[in-house]
Amino acid sequence: MSPLVRRLSGVLAQRSGQALGVGLVVSVLCWLAVQRLPGDAAYRIAAGRYGHDLVTTSSAEAVRAELGLDRPAWQQLLAWLAAVPRLDLGESMVTSRPVVTELGHHLVGTLQLAAAALVVAALIGVPLGLLAARRPGGLLDRVTIAWVASVRALPPFLLGLLLVVLFSVHLGLLPAAGDGTPASLVLPATTLGAGLSGLVARMTRDVVVEVRASEYVGFARTKGLPDGGVTRRHVVRNAAVALVPYLGAQAILLVEGVVVVESLFAWNGLGHALVHAVFWRDVPVLQGTALVLGLVVVAINTAVDLAVVWLDPRPRNRGAAA
Amino acid sequence: MSLAPLLQSDPAPTGGHPAAPGRRTAGRTVRALSAVTLLALVGFALAGPVLLADPAQQDLSRFLEPPTLAEPLGRDDFGRSVLARLAHATRLSLVLAALSVATALLLGTLTGLLAGWRGGWVDAVLRGISEAFVALPALLIVLLFAALAAGGSLWTLYVGLALAQWVEYFRVVRARSARVLATPAVEASRLLRLGPLHVVRRHLLPELRGTLATLASLGMVTAILAMSTLGFVKVGLQPPRTELGLMVTEAFPHYDTAPWMALAPVAVLFLLTVALLGLRRTEVTR
Amino acid sequence: MTTLTIDEVTVHHGATRLVDAVDLRLEAGVPLTVVGESGSGKSLLAHALMGTLPGELRVAGRMALGGTPYDLATRPGRGLWGSRLAMLPQEPSLALDPTMRVRPQVAEGASVRRPGSRAARRAADRALDGLGLADAAHAWPHQLSGGMAQRVAYAAATVGGVDVLIVDEPSKGLDEAAVDRIADLLTAHLARGGLLLTITHDLRLARRLGGELLVMQGARVVDRGPGRTLLDEPTHDYTRALVAAEPTRWKHEWMATTRDPGASPEPLVSASGVTKGYGATTLFRDLSLEIGTGERWALVGPSGVGKTTLGNALLGLAPVDHGEVRHHPALAPGRAQKLYQDPVLSFPRRVALGSALGDVLRRHGVDRKRPERLMESVGLAPDLLARRPDQLSGGELQRLAVVRAMLLRPALVFADEPTSRLDLLSQERTMDCLMTEVDASGCALVLVTHDHGLAAAVTDRQVTLGAQRGP
Repeated sequence: MSPLVRRLSGVLAQRSGQALGVGLVVSVLCWLAVQRLPGDAAYRIAAGRYGHDLVTTSSAEAVRAELGLDRPAWQQLLAWLAAVPRLDLGESMVTSRPVVTELGHHLVGTLQLAAAALVVAALIGVPLGLLAARRPGGLLDRVTIAWVASVRALPPFLLGLLLVVLFSVHLGLLPAAGDGTPASLVLPATTLGAGLSGLVARMTRDVVVEVRASEYVGFARTKGLPDGGVTRRHVVRNAAVALVPYLGAQAILLVEGVVVVESLFAWNGLGHALVHAVFWRDVPVLQGTALVLGLVVVAINTAVDLAVVWLDPRPRNRGAAA
Repeated sequence: MSLAPLLQSDPAPTGGHPAAPGRRTAGRTVRALSAVTLLALVGFALAGPVLLADPAQQDLSRFLEPPTLAEPLGRDDFGRSVLARLAHATRLSLVLAALSVATALLLGTLTGLLAGWRGGWVDAVLRGISEAFVALPALLIVLLFAALAAGGSLWTLYVGLALAQWVEYFRVVRARSARVLATPAVEASRLLRLGPLHVVRRHLLPELRGTLATLASLGMVTAILAMSTLGFVKVGLQPPRTELGLMVTEAFPHYDTAPWMALAPVAVLFLLTVALLGLRRTEVTR
Repeated sequence: MTTLTIDEVTVHHGATRLVDAVDLRLEAGVPLTVVGESGSGKSLLAHALMGTLPGELRVAGRMALGGTPYDLATRPGRGLWGSRLAMLPQEPSLALDPTMRVRPQVAEGASVRRPGSRAARRAADRALDGLGLADAAHAWPHQLSGGMAQRVAYAAATVGGVDVLIVDEPSKGLDEAAVDRIADLLTAHLARGGLLLTITHDLRLARRLGGELLVMQGARVVDRGPGRTLLDEPTHDYTRALVAAEPTRWKHEWMATTRDPGASPEPLVSASGVTKGYGATTLFRDLSLEIGTGERWALVGPSGVGKTTLGNALLGLAPVDHGEVRHHPALAPGRAQKLYQDPVLSFPRRVALGSALGDVLRRHGVDRKRPERLMESVGLAPDLLARRPDQLSGGELQRLAVVRAMLLRPALVFADEPTSRLDLLSQERTMDCLMTEVDASGCALVLVTHDHGLAAAVTDRQVTLGAQRGP
C-alpha cells in the first residue's frame, strides 16, 4: 500500500468511527428523552395512529404488544439503536409523516443556507484577512482584531434581530421570514456569514503572516524570485495547508449558527425542525435532525482530512480540528 | 526573517517578552477594565435579587411604564420591574455558566491528564469517547438535553452544558501534557527521582494554567450565549423564568414603544461577553 | 574580474552597536572567512551585505561590486538577489518549501522569471546531477537528510550562476563528512571565478578553505591575515585563545589521568547483543559493551546513526529490540545522570533555576553548601539562580546542568552532544567544568559526539557507529 493510500484509509477509518460514535450518543440521548416523556408511550402512539378520541385500552394494549413496549429497558434501547442504521427513524409525533422524507426537505433548505453563508463569510473574511496580513500590527490589522472580537461577543440571534429591524421593518427591503424565495435567503445568510467572517479573517491573517515569515519564503526571495512568484508558488499552497484544518472547526460553528438563524428567520431547514422538535418533544424528528446535523459535521471534517492528505506531502500532519 | 535568532547569541541576553512595552500596557488596561466590569456585573447579580423588588410581581396597571427614578429601567408588558428581572437573569446566567464550566474543566483536565500520562488503551478509549462528542456542536447537545428536561429543569441544562464543553479541555490538556511529558526536562527529573508530584507542580501546571484560564473564560461566554439562545427560542428555559435571551424575545414585539425593555438585556449580554473575552491573556502575534 | 569591497559597515540596534566599522574585500577565487564567537557580530555582517537584516536594525556603510557603488543603508542587496548575490541558508531543511518537490525549487534559482520553463528544469537537472543528487530531483524536502538538504539549497542558490556567494554557518548540525562535502562545493565555486564569504566558528572548515581570514570579537575585527598563518601561528591574544580552544589542542589536567583498571571487577553497565531499529532501519545490531567504574567512553559517528538511542538504551531510558542491558547495583536509580544537547529544554521552563535546584536538594536531603561549592568551581555567579532558563546563555546553562547532575554524586554521566550548539570557547569551558567534576568524583562518562577531535581529547575508549544511511 502506498503511503498515500494508507493515509487516506486511515482518515476514512477514523471518521467512520466518529460517525458511529455520533450516532450512538444522539440515539441514546433521544431514547432517554423518549423515556422521560410524560404519559404512557403506548397510549401516545395509539393516539397518534387512531386519533385522540378513538383510543381505547385494547388498542393501546395491542400497540404495546406490537412494539414490545413492555420489554425491559435495555432491550428496548438495543432495538431502538438497531433501527437507526436501517434508516427506520419512525414517524413524527406531530405530523405522523415518516421522518426520513421530512429530513430530505429540511436538508436541502439547510444546505442552501449553509452554502450562501459560507460564500458571505469568505467574501468578507478572506480579503479582510489578506489585507490585514500585509502589515501585521498596522491599522487594518487592529481593525480586523476589533471586528473579530465584537462579532464574537454578539450572539447570532442579536445580529439577526438587528438586521431584521433595519432591513425588514424600517427599510422594508427584505423579507423577515423564509418563504423559499432567493430574497428571503439574503438576511439569514448575511447573519450567519457575518458571524463566521470574523474567524475566517483572523485565521487567514494569522496563517498568511506566519507563512510569509517562514524560512522557505525568505530563501525563495533571496533566490531572486519576484514577489508575485513567491506568493503564487509558495505562500498560497502552504497557507492552504495550514488553513484547511481550521475549516473543520468552522463546521461546528456553522451548524450551531444554522440552528439559531433558521429559528429566527423561520427558514425551513434542519435547525428549525430541530428546535420545533425539542419544543414539541417530537423525539423521532429530534433524533433524525440531530443525527443528520452531527453527520454533516463529520462529513465536513472528513473532506477536510482528505484535502489535507492531498495537499501536504509530509508523513505526519495536523488533523482537522474536530 | 525574524530578529530573535540573530540576536540570540547577544552577550547579555535579556530573555524579555516579545511584545513592545506599549502593547503590553494596553493589554493590561484591557484586562483591568474587563475585570472591573465583570465584578460590577457579578455584584449586580448577587445584590440585585436581594435588594430589588420581586421580579414576578405583576402590576398590569403599569404596563410598559418608561424609566423613572424609582424604577430605572421601567416596567415590562406585565408591569414587572425590568431591573429586578435583569438582576435575576444575570444571576442565573452567571451561576449556571460558572458551574458548568467548572465541571467541564475538572472533568476534562482529569481525563486529559490521565490520557496523556498513561497512554495506551486508556488514551485510546478516552479519545474515542471524545471524538463522538467533538462532532456535536455544544448547542446541539444542550438542545438534546433540554428535550430531556421536564419543563425547564435547570439540572439537566447544567449537565448538558457541562457535557458540551468537557471535550475541549480534554483535548488541550491531553495534547499539552503529552508534549510536556516527552521533554528532556521531565526525563531529567525522572533521572533525579523527583517524583510525579514535582512533575505536576513544576512542569504541567505552569504550562496548562494559562490555556485553561483562557478556555474557561471562553467557555463562560459559550455557556451564556447558549443559554440566551435557548431562551430566545423558548426551549428549556420558559416563562416565567427570567433569562437574558428570553427577555429579549419577550421584549422584541415592543421594541419601538418600549426600547429600554429590549436594550437592557442586550446590553448586559454584550457587557458580560466583552468583559469575559477581555480577561484573556492574549499572546502577541507577529 | 569582479571584486567586492565594503567600507565601514556598522549595524545598530537602537543605541547598541552590533557591528562596528568593518572593512573587507572579496576577490575572485580567494575565499574570505570570518571566524569568532557567538555574539561577535559575524552573522550580522553577512546579513548586512546581503540585505536580509530585519527592519529594526540600522545599517550604514558603502559597498562596491565590480565598480558599482551602493549604499548599504538602502539595502541594495535586494535588487541583486539571484543575479549577483546568493546566500546559503543556515538551516537548509527549513529553507525548502515542504509542499514542493526538489526540482522545481532548484529550477526557481535557474530562472526567476520563468521557473516553470523547460530550460529552467533542464538547468536544475544538470545542477542536481553534478552534485550527485539526480535521484533526489523528485523527492519531497522532508525525505532529505541534513547534508542532502544543504546541497539542494546550494544548487538552488547557485544554479543561476551568481558572482558572490555568502555562506552563514554551513557546518551547523552536520558531521565532519558532510562539512567536507560542502567545503568541496565552495571550493568549486571559487574555481569558477566566484567570490566567497564564509561565516563560521568551525576552525577546521576555515583551515580547509584557506584564503584570507578575519577574526571578529565584540562587533570588531581584531585580527586579519592569511588563514594558514593565523591559525597555525597565531600572534594576537584572542586568535591564540580561539585556536587553543580546538579540542585537538587541549591541555588539561584531567586528560592525563590514568584510571586503575582493577578498581572494580564488575562493570557498571553491561550490554550484550543489543539490537535496535526504527521502522525499516536498523540502528545497531548485536552490539556488546561493558562500561566499568570511572571509564570514559565516546559514542561517535555521523548524525542520525543512533548514538543517542544507544546511550539511552545503556541508561535504561529506552528499550531495546533484542539483547539485554544489565546494571550493577551501584548504579541505583538516581546515580545515572544525563546532560542534554539543548540545556534550555532540560530545565522546567517557567520556574526559576534556584527553585528547580531547590527541589533536588529537598528531595534528597543534600546540603546547601554543595551546590554553592559546585557553582563556584564551574564559575557561575550565585545570582544566576534567580533567573529562568531562557535568560541564561547556552554555555552558562549547560554548566548549571553539570552542577545539577553532580549534586547526587552519580556513578555514570551520559553527556548527549552537550556542546554541539556552543562555539569553541564556550565548548572548552563547559567540557573543562564537566571533566574536572568527573575526574574529582571518579564517575564514569559516556559522551555522544560527532567530533572525533573532541572524543579523542576527552575519552580513551570509543564505539564507532557506522553510517548505514545515505550522506
